[in-house]
Amino acid sequence: MLNEIILHPGEHREIILLNEPDTNWHIIQEARSTLLLHVIALPHPNDEAQWHTSITVEHKATGCKTEMYGLALLHSQQQHHLTTRVLHNVGGGYSSQLFKFVLDDESKASFKGELKILPDAQQVEAYQTNRNILLSRQAEMTTEPQLEIYADDVKASHGATTGQLDDSALFYMQQRCISRETARKLLLYAFFEDVLRTLPNEQMQEDIVEKINEYIG
Amino acid sequence: MLEIKNLHATIAGKEILKGLNLTVNEGEVHAIMGPNGAGKSTLSNVLTGHPAYTVTAGEVFFRGKNLLTMSPEERAREGMFLSFQYPVEIPGVSMVNFMRTAVNEKRKHEGKPALSATDFLKLMREKKALVGMDNHLTKRSVNEGFSGGEKKRNEIFQMAMLEPCLSILDETDSGLDIDALRIVAEGVNALKTPHTASIVITHYQRLLDYIVPDFVHVLADGKIVRTGGKELALELEDKGYAFLNEQP
Repeated sequence: MLNEIILHPGEHREIILLNEPDTNWHIIQEARSTLLLHVIALPHPNDEAQWHTSITVEHKATGCKTEMYGLALLHSQQQHHLTTRVLHNVGGGYSSQLFKFVLDDESKASFKGELKILPDAQQVEAYQTNRNILLSRQAEMTTEPQLEIYADDVKASHGATTGQLDDSALFYMQQRCISRETARKLLLYAFFEDVLRTLPNEQMQEDIVEKINEYIG
Repeated sequence: MLEIKNLHATIAGKEILKGLNLTVNEGEVHAIMGPNGAGKSTLSNVLTGHPAYTVTAGEVFFRGKNLLTMSPEERAREGMFLSFQYPVEIPGVSMVNFMRTAVNEKRKHEGKPALSATDFLKLMREKKALVGMDNHLTKRSVNEGFSGGEKKRNEIFQMAMLEPCLSILDETDSGLDIDALRIVAEGVNALKTPHTASIVITHYQRLLDYIVPDFVHVLADGKIVRTGGKELALELEDKGYAFLNEQP
C-alpha cells in the first residue's frame, strides 16, 4: 500500500507506524514543514510475522526538518525490513535518523538507508545512525547505509554498529545482587532509551516499555 | 566466613590457580600480594563467579554454604562484594535505578520488604556522606565519564549501600593518587565491623598503610607461598618478590 503525503509550508506532522505490515510511504515536504516519524516493531504473537517498511522523504523547498526514529524487538522467525530514502533536493534542510534493532532467536532484519544531497542543496545537515544488538547466534542483521552527497557545504554523518549485550556490564550488575534477567532488561531499556524519549506522548512510552518488559520478563 | 581448600581454576584451558588454601574469619582483614600474573585477579573472579573461569578442583565454603554452585548474584546477595579493579561503565542505566534495584534484590533475598522511594533516597544520602561521594555522580549513568578516582569511590559507595559481610578489594589502589587512596581507605575502614571481613588484593604496600591487615599472604604461581603479619608487606616492599625464590 502506497501512502503519499504532502506536508504544506509550515506544517508539522507526526506519524507512528506500530507493527504495521508492508507499508510504503512517500512524503513530500514543502517549505519549513517538519516531520516526526517513528517506526516501531514490538514483540508480536505471530512468530513468523514480517514487516516491510519503506519510507521516502523529499525536501522540495528550503527550511524543512525531518526526524525519524525506530526501535524493533524481534523474536522467533520474525523479520523486519526497513528502507529509508531521504532526498535533500534543496538547501537549508535538516534530517536525522536513528534506528535501533534488537534481534532474538532466529529473527532477521535489515536497514537500508539512502541519503542523497543534490548539488544545489547547500547548507544541509543530515545524520543517520543504526545500532543493533543480537541476543542469539542465529539472529541476523544486515545494514546498508548509502550516502550520496553532491553538495560541498553540508554537515553529514552516518554510523552503524551491530553487537551483543555487554557481558562485562551484565557480570558487574550480577555482582551487585541483580539477576541476569533483570540486568538484561536494564541494558535493553538503556539501549532503547534515546528512541523512547523521542515519542510524542508519555502514555505511548509507557505502553512500549510494558510490551518490552512482558517479553524480557 | 570463607574457607578455600585446594582451589584449582583455569581460564581458556590455562591453569592459573594451582591449589590455593585460605581461611578468612569474621573481623579479619587479609592482604593478598604477589607479582603480576600470580593469579590475584583470578582469585577475585573465581570467588565472585565470573563465567570465563572454570574451577577444576577444590572447594569453597562461604558462610557454611557451597559457594561454587551459586550464581554470581546469589553470592552477592549472600554478602560477597567485589570492588572491581576496572569498574564498568553502563551508559543509559542511572546510578539511582541501578542502586535501587541492587539494594531491593538483596533485601528480597533477606526476606525484607523493598525500600520506599523516600527511605531509599535517605539511605543514599547517608551513605554518600559516609564515603564522601559527590552528589552529581549519583545523578549520572553508572560510572559513565567518571574519572579513575571517582570510579573507585563509587565502588566503595556501592559497598556502603549493600553492607556486605565479605569485601574483596581488587587493586583498589591502582590508578589512585595518594589523596584519593586515603579517602577510599577511610571509607573502607568506616564500614568495618566485628562481623565483616575483607580481602585486600594489591601489588603495592602503600594501601596497607591505610587499611591495616591482620594477615599478609603472598600469592605466586597460583598458590599462597607465604603468610605473615603486616610486617611481611614491608619486607616485600623492601626486597621485592624475587627473594621468595631464594628461600626454602
